[in-house]
Amino acid sequence: MRVSDFFKRLFRRHPFSCQVALFLLPFSLFPLIDKNVYHIDLMTSIGIYVLLAMGLNVVVGFAGLLNLGYAAFFAIGAYAYALLNLHAGCPFWLGLPAAGIVSMIFGLVIGAPSIRIRGDYLAITTLGFGEIVRIAFNNLDEWTGGPNGLLGIARPKIWVPRFEGGFHWETFSFSVNPTPYFYLVLGLVMFAAYLLFRMSDSKIGRALVAIREDELAASCMGVPVLKIKLTAFGLSAFIAGMAGAVFASKQTIVTPDSFDFVLSVLILAMVVLGGMGNIWGAALGALILGALPELLREFANYRMLLFGVMMVLMMIFRPQGILGSQLIRREMRTEKSE
Amino acid sequence: MNFKFKILDFRWLVLAGMVFVLCGAARKEEVVLIGLVAPLTGDQAYIGTGVLQGAQMAVEDANAKGPLFGDAKVELLGLDDQHNPTQAVLAANKLAANPDVMGVVGHFNSSCTKAASAIYHEGRMTQITPASTNPEISRQGFDTFFRICATDDVQGPAAAEFVWSKLGAKRIAVMDDHTTYGKGLADEFEKKFKALGGTVLRRDAITQGEKDFTPLLTKVKSVNPELIFYGGVYPELALLIKQSRKTGLDAPWMGGDGIFDVTLIKLATPRFSHGTYATMLGVDPHSLPSAKDFVARYEARHGEIGSFSAYAYDAANVLIEAIRRAGAKDRKRVLQEVRKMKDFQGALGVVNFDEKGDAVGRSIGVFKVEEGKFKFIEEIKPA
Amino acid sequence: MSLFIQQLLNGLTIGMVYALIALGYTMVYGVIQLINFAHGDVFMVGAYLALTLIWAFAAVVTGAPFWVVLTALLLFGMAGCAVLGALIERVAYKPLRASPRLAALITSIGVSFFLQNAVMLIYGSKDQSVPEIIPHVRFEFHGVSFSLTQCVIFLTSIALMVFLTWFIQKTKLGKAMRACAENFEAANLMGISADRIIRVTFVMGSALAAVAGGLFGVYYGSINFHDGYLAGLKAFTAAVFGGIGSIPGAMVGGVLLGVLEGLGAAYLSSEWKDVFAFVILIAILLFKPSGILGENLPEKV
Repeated sequence: MRVSDFFKRLFRRHPFSCQVALFLLPFSLFPLIDKNVYHIDLMTSIGIYVLLAMGLNVVVGFAGLLNLGYAAFFAIGAYAYALLNLHAGCPFWLGLPAAGIVSMIFGLVIGAPSIRIRGDYLAITTLGFGEIVRIAFNNLDEWTGGPNGLLGIARPKIWVPRFEGGFHWETFSFSVNPTPYFYLVLGLVMFAAYLLFRMSDSKIGRALVAIREDELAASCMGVPVLKIKLTAFGLSAFIAGMAGAVFASKQTIVTPDSFDFVLSVLILAMVVLGGMGNIWGAALGALILGALPELLREFANYRMLLFGVMMVLMMIFRPQGILGSQLIRREMRTEKSE
Repeated sequence: MNFKFKILDFRWLVLAGMVFVLCGAARKEEVVLIGLVAPLTGDQAYIGTGVLQGAQMAVEDANAKGPLFGDAKVELLGLDDQHNPTQAVLAANKLAANPDVMGVVGHFNSSCTKAASAIYHEGRMTQITPASTNPEISRQGFDTFFRICATDDVQGPAAAEFVWSKLGAKRIAVMDDHTTYGKGLADEFEKKFKALGGTVLRRDAITQGEKDFTPLLTKVKSVNPELIFYGGVYPELALLIKQSRKTGLDAPWMGGDGIFDVTLIKLATPRFSHGTYATMLGVDPHSLPSAKDFVARYEARHGEIGSFSAYAYDAANVLIEAIRRAGAKDRKRVLQEVRKMKDFQGALGVVNFDEKGDAVGRSIGVFKVEEGKFKFIEEIKPA
Repeated sequence: MSLFIQQLLNGLTIGMVYALIALGYTMVYGVIQLINFAHGDVFMVGAYLALTLIWAFAAVVTGAPFWVVLTALLLFGMAGCAVLGALIERVAYKPLRASPRLAALITSIGVSFFLQNAVMLIYGSKDQSVPEIIPHVRFEFHGVSFSLTQCVIFLTSIALMVFLTWFIQKTKLGKAMRACAENFEAANLMGISADRIIRVTFVMGSALAAVAGGLFGVYYGSINFHDGYLAGLKAFTAAVFGGIGSIPGAMVGGVLLGVLEGLGAAYLSSEWKDVFAFVILIAILLFKPSGILGENLPEKV
């Protein structure tokens, strides 16, 4: 009785921390149950997709702005960490936030002028930006290594305390083994989920929803529309930048063709499939679309064909997304009667 | 009635289970795996399939000769990298994580081979690429990396020599498709050609997947080159050739192993592609006595042989021979055996690796398109 | 100067193809506000259908005059793609009519994956060579050369655009389409069958894309199942360029984009020409968000 009371109080007082812990902590057992290195590696890649989908969800799901060039921010983060590391010897733990910030700066620079553009035109601006970034990385050989990319990016290092033979810190470097990366990505996903929950419950979050529902009404009510939209854009770019740094450190190589338009579209599909505006929805969408191609591997040549068919079927049977938020569904109805 | 049936079912079940276990025990032969990674889906799937079929034949040949050691059978595990470095690393991780995999034949594209080589090195796994010619890969210092084909720092200069001394062209243009392979090859060519005293009038790059090169070709035409060297693969070259003829640019084209494919002639039409030069790693397998048997069997089964099928066949055979000599499922010993390998008789000739893992003594063949066919003109032996 | 005109002509040719594809994007967008990602792949299917007909023709008849083959292949492609367009609409978009717009966007991506891989499985992943059916005739004029193929592309595209403009402006069906684009609900209330109009839009857009595909294949002489992606992206850009939803806008946008690209490749660098095109696109959107010929609708309150 008392124990359940304790949990109830805990949940009431820290609803977001509890939700994040409840949904994500079980994943920390994954490498202990499934020892197959390949599966852990796959889960790590999916974790990066989850980060990206959560980040894109801020812009697409919360703010209702269609971004078709999200891979560009992922690319900028990856290249930012790679360049900082290769030229300035910047360690991973410094490069991680730095990559996020660089990506955010780009997000703001791109966002500031283009965010006034309405609806689908913004989608095209972001699409154009995404292509420009990819082509630029491909063509600026002196800085980015061109199509060969940047090689030899440092993996993260952590310091483990040791007590045998006197207290000292032992350096442990990440390697091909994906398990440490798995926990790194899981930690970041938890951090991002918590951050986004807090944001969605804050003034900014409510302002974002207000803008999505009716921009004009929101601005009439005194919501600083441009500022709020920019915040969403910047935050989403920040998350993508951090994901990029993790990706670069895990691959130890970045090449421009990893960040093409198809990736932007795929992340968008994850957000929409999972349910726009729902943080767990984005994560679930990423999990499904990330794992599907691997599950369909045995169909060999028919793999991507089936992937396409399943995307269509999933949307037809669940147009609002698997965990579509109640609000969006309501909004849909009003949109129709307009 | 029901009860009886249940007992009967139970007995059958036990019996079936026992038979199963017995069969399992009897069939407890060891399986050694060889990985193969190439683009098996997507727009380069046809090359990947050729590579896969070549390696598959090596595996079948080996098993036909009996077990490698004890009762060990060898099997091929083919994975797809979609010529995307990220997918390549994912596939490499999958192989490195599987303790039954002794080594890998792959990857195909230089960018993928390079990205994945670090994973194989960390996993102490032998990697033999059948086709990645970029010289940078072996300069990374990974002792697990081997290559069965010649490198572009052999191929590029050989092509430059040929253009300079045999064709007598002095003022030329160089173009590439801005990929690891194409740019690397064009760079090596340009370096040597300039060293010989030639003039490179223009150096341009195109984008893979693009269709319209007329604006660029109109500019190239204005400098009037005697020849145009192209570092890249044939689909774009076919368009380049066709469009250059249509803009009135009549200089012959030349390229490396990436353009050596009959589809080039089909796409560019025999009329326009006439007079195009190509260097190829080694000579045409059809003309090699050592490859005759393999080529005949391959073509009987799969149709026309791919440009790199024989390389994949040799690479897989080197790996299988090393496993046979190691006599155990042990990656480190397999790696040692590949390192020690001397004068291995492959379908394409004798295989020897230098300390960087590159095949030595690989000659370069020069071909010219005549009457809708690649005609062998000469063999350039390595210096 | 002759070099400039030559580049302009080359740009115009590919611009015509972009314009034909862009029309499909813009028509669909005008009626149901959907960015139809699968449209580029319908274009690619059109190119493959044309190729199939050339093969069939070569096997059955020999020595037919080129314009017969050309007309046949364009009609065959149009018919095939019209059916395909109607089918895609029925299967992938119709069930989502009442859903959020992005849901249909995702199914269109799914359809795009499906079409690409279906063509790859049927025709193989290698580039396919399209036989030269139009004789290699060139007209020279003061150092500017112009091929018969380019001529055919110009005439066909312009004829189709004129036809489409007439259709939209004068026929009953065209007027119904415009009504739907103007106000979907009101058009419905006036007794226009929305389902029928949407179907017609898809059929027409796909047929135009098929013509573009056929001309594209004949012009370049080689096609690949990947071609729909880049061409679709460019055509979509062109549609926005001219003002999405506007039919003359798509024509102007396509032609302008082709010319800009050609000149960019000629006078800047061929590697940076796409960047050039996109930078101009973004600049236009920033200063005139509705595109060159798009209407600037006031916000409804």
